[in-house]
Amino acid sequence: MSTTTWHADPALLQAYVAGELDAVLSASLERHVERCPECRGAVRPLADGPLLDEAWAGVRERVESRPLPAAIRLAQRLGLREPSAVLLSAAASLRLAWLSSCLVALGFATVATLMSEDRLWPFLLVAPLIPVLGVAAAYGDADDPFEALAVTAPYGRTRLVLLRTVGVLVTTLPVAGLFGLFLPGPAWIAAAWFGPALAMVPVLMALASFIGPRMAGPLVTILWCGVVLGAVRELPPTWPIEATQQLVYVGLALVALAVLAARSVHTRKIGAAL
Amino acid sequence: MNVELTAVDKSYGGTQALRGVDLTLGTGITGLLGPNGAGKTTLLRVVATSIAADRGEVRLLGRDPHAGHAELTRVRRSLGYLPQELGYPSDMTTFGFLEYVAVLKEWNERRARRHEVRRVLDLVGLAEQSGKRIAKLSGGQRRRVGLAQALLGNPRLLVLDEPTTGLDPAQRATLRRTLSVVAHESTVLLSTHQTEDVAALCERVVVLADGEVRFDGTVVDLVATAVGQVWLADHEVPGAVMTWRTGTGRHRVVGGPHPPGAEPAEPTLEDAYLLMLGPSAASLPA
Amino acid sequence: METTDGQREDAVLLRAAADGDLAAVRELYDRHAPWLSARLMRRCNDREVVVDVVQDTFVAMWQDARKWRGQGDVAGWLWGIAFRRLVSRLRKRREVLLMPDWDAVGNGVLPAAEEQVLLGVEYGDLGAALRRLSPEFRAVVQACVLDGLTTREAGRLLGVRENTVKTRLHRAKAQLRTALADIELEAW
Repeated sequence: MSTTTWHADPALLQAYVAGELDAVLSASLERHVERCPECRGAVRPLADGPLLDEAWAGVRERVESRPLPAAIRLAQRLGLREPSAVLLSAAASLRLAWLSSCLVALGFATVATLMSEDRLWPFLLVAPLIPVLGVAAAYGDADDPFEALAVTAPYGRTRLVLLRTVGVLVTTLPVAGLFGLFLPGPAWIAAAWFGPALAMVPVLMALASFIGPRMAGPLVTILWCGVVLGAVRELPPTWPIEATQQLVYVGLALVALAVLAARSVHTRKIGAAL
Repeated sequence: MNVELTAVDKSYGGTQALRGVDLTLGTGITGLLGPNGAGKTTLLRVVATSIAADRGEVRLLGRDPHAGHAELTRVRRSLGYLPQELGYPSDMTTFGFLEYVAVLKEWNERRARRHEVRRVLDLVGLAEQSGKRIAKLSGGQRRRVGLAQALLGNPRLLVLDEPTTGLDPAQRATLRRTLSVVAHESTVLLSTHQTEDVAALCERVVVLADGEVRFDGTVVDLVATAVGQVWLADHEVPGAVMTWRTGTGRHRVVGGPHPPGAEPAEPTLEDAYLLMLGPSAASLPA
Repeated sequence: METTDGQREDAVLLRAAADGDLAAVRELYDRHAPWLSARLMRRCNDREVVVDVVQDTFVAMWQDARKWRGQGDVAGWLWGIAFRRLVSRLRKRREVLLMPDWDAVGNGVLPAAEEQVLLGVEYGDLGAALRRLSPEFRAVVQACVLDGLTTREAGRLLGVRENTVKTRLHRAKAQLRTALADIELEAW
């Protein structure tokens, strides 16, 4: 705050704003204005209004809404549409906390697998479940009052769930695939677990259309654990992802897709199958 | 007509929430009045396309929402809905939340969308709170955020489940102003269990009890049903539908036989409502 | 925390701004953006750059508002943010950066009327003392003392080594001190 009672007269401020004062006079005036609220106010009518409006629009924009997360901005550069980006940025299943806990789990599983030469099951148990559980989380709770809004919006809950599902798959699969590269044994193992992982997604969705995602998620998890752990004792470690089994997964996925299609045609329930 | 319900039934498990409801609404504000559990929320959810009716005919904005996805989506494009309890993602800002809902309502062009979000924020008087996290807003402010999302895109059908909850008198007055502007071109259906709200906000009132429509008409007509059945007595009167001691020390008597010596009183909307619900009104929260 | 004329103090507004109160941000903007933009226009003749810098400055103000502990005053703090942004933005675009034209300053040979004006200005005595410095010294005083840059930043801005800035600043201050025997330079 200024302690003096001196104030710049309008003509002097006008000359300053117009750039007509020399450097020394400008410097003195700036020194004063920086400390004098009244003279700062007196500059207001002299300032470039359109410039201030333009800058204010940008400031307001930033204060009103947080910028989209970095990963989503990256996806936008790769072609994700802006409205979808807004929707994805609010999806709980794409939050950093969720993703990082998945990665920690997978990290432990990878380490456990690496500890012994002929053991593959910890990785096979965890990796394919990550995308499936992510998709289950992508549903959100239909009874959640926030989700209730999505139900009556023209965008539709089905589309929203599918969008989140794609978001989950795109974020989890590449990273999980990277972990797979550390696995011992033949290189195809790193890719082969994608088979059950992708097949379980439609199976989950088909189940969810009957019993809801909250029940379907654990059910699929139990089934997969049964397959992997059941094979541990007597079968070779790669049994759950060998060719014959992969065919079974593909078959299951196709059946699940058919069920989903039939459900969405016949259901009279508003809000569709998902 | 924007809303046409004919003989609509809806039940959850064993309980029947709606029984043969007929309702036809044009533009203007209609209040849905009834005790808790009367089926108000169920009826609103049917009109908001949140749930499907079990039986009966539903036509919204001239379309059948059950006729398929395309028709349903067309109805939803002109629909605004404020659920009774709206959860908010607490880490979103007011603006961010409304922008999210606006995308769900197919405002795809960013500039137009943000303009629309600012418009509804202005309408509910929250323009200056737009940068705040929803977690930091007061209850009344949050309710107004909910109202703002329902107003996005000037819907022709606006369904509001207890919009006055948590609002102080000044905020109610603002709500009344906002809705009266909207109601020129739109159908507004709102629920409440307070007769003051209906008297203040609505032209038309529908009384719902046990899943059935008990009354459907203007507010004045509802009040008129109680003429000649309300008295002021000096002593407590047995046999009345409802009686209570007023601030002046006299007893207001609603319904029942004419108490000897009591003088007739001008009925209010509340008297008429209590009379309409009959003895079951006694179990209502005051 | 209200001043006598009923205006909320900047520090109070900053606290509200930290919570996302747009009205508080707007009030601070209305108070400070006009002079800030005018001052930036004296340093840079590219309008678009000034728009961006003003915008960045107030976004930074809002983001850092929570950390504000009331040290110094808001105006000086804002100018510090704004000028640093300007300098770093223009590191590769020197042609739009306007350096105060110290050479155009008459070496104490002013028309009598203008000298009068200068002495009427608060800190005018500083101005008069500045006039007696050489252009290189004035540039360093401007950057380090008036615009609040560090010697390293000033060196980058002026295109000289940091040590040179330090030496010049030291000598300039000594000369100013002599010229302004009664002004405590460190108090600036």
